[in-house]
Amino acid sequence: MIAKHRMGRIGAILLSLAAPLAGAQSGFPERPIDIVTHASPGGGTDATARAVARGMRTALDADLSVLPRTGGGGVVAMSYVNSRPRDGHTLLAITPTHLFAMARGQGPLTIDDMVGVARAADDPIVVMVRADSEVASLAELVELGRERPIKWGTTQIGGVDHIAGATLADRTGTQLSVVPFAGGGEIVTNLMGGSIDAAGLNLTEALDQIQRGDFRALAVMSEERVSRIGDVPTTVELGYDVVFSTVRGYLVLEGTPEDRIQILEQAMLEGMSQPAYLDYLEGSGLEPGSVAGREEWDGQVRRLYRDARNAMIALGIIRAE
Amino acid sequence: MEPSGLSIAFSLLTDPAVLGLIVAGTVAGVIIGALPGLSSSMGVALLLPFSLYLDPVPAIALLSALYCAGTFGGSITAVLINAPGAPPAVATAFDGYPMALKGEAGRALGIAAVSSVSGGIISVLTLLLAAPLLARIAYSFGPPEYFALGVFALSMLASIGAESPLKNLIGGCLGLLIATVGIDLTTGVERFTFGVPQLLEGVQFIPVLIGLFAVTELLNQARHLGRESVIAAMSALRLPSREDFRRVRSTILRSSGIGVFVGVLPAEGSTMAAMIGYNEAKRWSKAPEEFGKGSIEGVAGPEAANNAATGGAMVPTLALGIPGSATAAVILGGLQVQGLRPGPYLFEEQPTLLYGIFLAMLLANILFLFIGLFGAKVFSRISLVPRTFLWPTVFALCLVGAYGLNQSMVDVWIMIVSGLVGYILKRNGFGPAPIIMGIVLGGLIETSLAQSLIIFDQQWSGFLRQPIAAGLLVLAAVSVGGRPLRKFLGGLLARTAGTARRG
Repeated sequence: MIAKHRMGRIGAILLSLAAPLAGAQSGFPERPIDIVTHASPGGGTDATARAVARGMRTALDADLSVLPRTGGGGVVAMSYVNSRPRDGHTLLAITPTHLFAMARGQGPLTIDDMVGVARAADDPIVVMVRADSEVASLAELVELGRERPIKWGTTQIGGVDHIAGATLADRTGTQLSVVPFAGGGEIVTNLMGGSIDAAGLNLTEALDQIQRGDFRALAVMSEERVSRIGDVPTTVELGYDVVFSTVRGYLVLEGTPEDRIQILEQAMLEGMSQPAYLDYLEGSGLEPGSVAGREEWDGQVRRLYRDARNAMIALGIIRAE
Repeated sequence: MEPSGLSIAFSLLTDPAVLGLIVAGTVAGVIIGALPGLSSSMGVALLLPFSLYLDPVPAIALLSALYCAGTFGGSITAVLINAPGAPPAVATAFDGYPMALKGEAGRALGIAAVSSVSGGIISVLTLLLAAPLLARIAYSFGPPEYFALGVFALSMLASIGAESPLKNLIGGCLGLLIATVGIDLTTGVERFTFGVPQLLEGVQFIPVLIGLFAVTELLNQARHLGRESVIAAMSALRLPSREDFRRVRSTILRSSGIGVFVGVLPAEGSTMAAMIGYNEAKRWSKAPEEFGKGSIEGVAGPEAANNAATGGAMVPTLALGIPGSATAAVILGGLQVQGLRPGPYLFEEQPTLLYGIFLAMLLANILFLFIGLFGAKVFSRISLVPRTFLWPTVFALCLVGAYGLNQSMVDVWIMIVSGLVGYILKRNGFGPAPIIMGIVLGGLIETSLAQSLIIFDQQWSGFLRQPIAAGLLVLAAVSVGGRPLRKFLGGLLARTAGTARRG
């Protein structure tokens, strides 16, 4: 709640900053702005984009629409954005999926084409087991993994939670027997049903199960603890520098005028400081600290890309040049 | 969940504005469901942004009403023009369209409406009474169980169409082959994508569906263009008789049970429920030979099942926060955008919202019974429209439907190619049903087999140690081997009897 008010104040300050700027650069936006997503309507990425667009619409006093360009793990969306003029009217919604596709060399864009605007959601990966498991801590899980392969549920091979699990296994010298599923919900049911030993799930996907005591959270793959499960240590605290989270944020392509990027960033942050967006974060189990401006977000994109690339080289998914 | 929640929800829904939204959601759902290419998940996703401006109860009531009605709407076009408006209606076309060709469009639509509503209402009542309990089923279904369920559903392949079992098996294999396109889940390897990024996530089901059914039928009709069109009798507008309803009563009950069960399983939705509903209707029918040629049980079976699956799919969505179907996933998103977190807490903290959803779904079901029954007379006039006007319009709808899904021309080409292939296959005695079954079940069977083997440390015997999986596999074996076995035993008996007489 305190965080909510603080966000509101930041928004008010930003609003006062944005107003003169928007006036000075009259003419932008001159037509509706598109937020291009790679997700089909209704999923998490789509829901976030719509919640962001809703806030931005009032902040910018302009029309915004969410444009799904599905397929190819973000490659179709990236190709579409690449085909549009770099004038700030096209934003690309980005997730680790896009960064991994880029790391594999798919699609027309590279990390150097990307300019971060703002982050809308940060959903860290949490290592968890079923509550009645004999494993009580990450150290015990590592110990178990040195005796026999841990049956580890992930979503698609090469996805963020697979890379996260594989990186952790690599650093700790444990063996994983990776069981891929089509989505987080399936992993939850299978961990609950006992088909798998452990999984790295996004916090929002299993928050209820953790809070109800069905699952035991062993570690959060982040630098700082998250408030909703404040008693769970982070991987960094436990001595493993394995930081992965599913992030959702927005980018424009290199070459977009600087003043327009600033207008977009401020409008986006202002929109995301409104109660409606904070309610959305609350409802989906995300932290208010999910929202971040250009500087933090842009740095995170590049760090995630580098980590993912290194992990993929280590796993033999791609070759180092 | 105290009764006060129910009464508050009731008073909320009797508000004229909310009632109006539910009516609008139902009407929109029937239309969206009926249009090929626009399915209920699409419709709910399209309405989601608008629902943000409403209070939680009306917003979710609107989305749920659209979901229920959309599943029913698909049957209208499946019956009238052999173009299932949405994937769950695919099995409805197997017998619904032959009925329309026989001049019984009204009868088929009437049966579809009553079966849908019965299935829908049974599932909502189940949801109301036993959601938290049923949600536990979701936990007992892991990869081995899904594999066995898929094999069981596939076991009817040989007998699903009217044609020869061999051709059905070939068609089923074609479907399984199509299902392998895309990135393999368990290895991350691209298969048959030919460098086309749109194929990385597999061949989209809806364009194939539109192609195999509607475009194939269009080409088929074009062949008869020179011939004078048969003046269909006005009997097309006749609604089903009381006797018809008596005949499908047990089919409706059985399919509703199947629908609720399959709907509850998180990975499976209405399409699979409809397939199994159709198969079981045929298996238990007194006249299985009529299936594929216009059997009313063949319409009631899938329609009751796919609508029952809507209520079933809401069980894990609301009780566990795990979507039970693609559309339920969108509704889950809608709840989250409203600041509500579905899951076990929802039942304790938000009984009003839950009762609101149940009542809205119930209301939507009753509403589309009226739309369906009165509409049947109006809609069935479509089957009286001359072919030269009807089919070009259908083709335009198909193009829009295939493109609109992902705004992708690749999907349009997939639809056209599927239509051409479907036409060639049809002229050679292959029906679309086995191909569709192969596509629906292929991915599920392959993925769950791979997952199971990882879980069992590559020991195939693991399946036998899982009671549910083993039971389903035995059922599948009986369903494949049952008839030949009976024939063999029957022959043996006759021979022994013959020998005995001679002796």
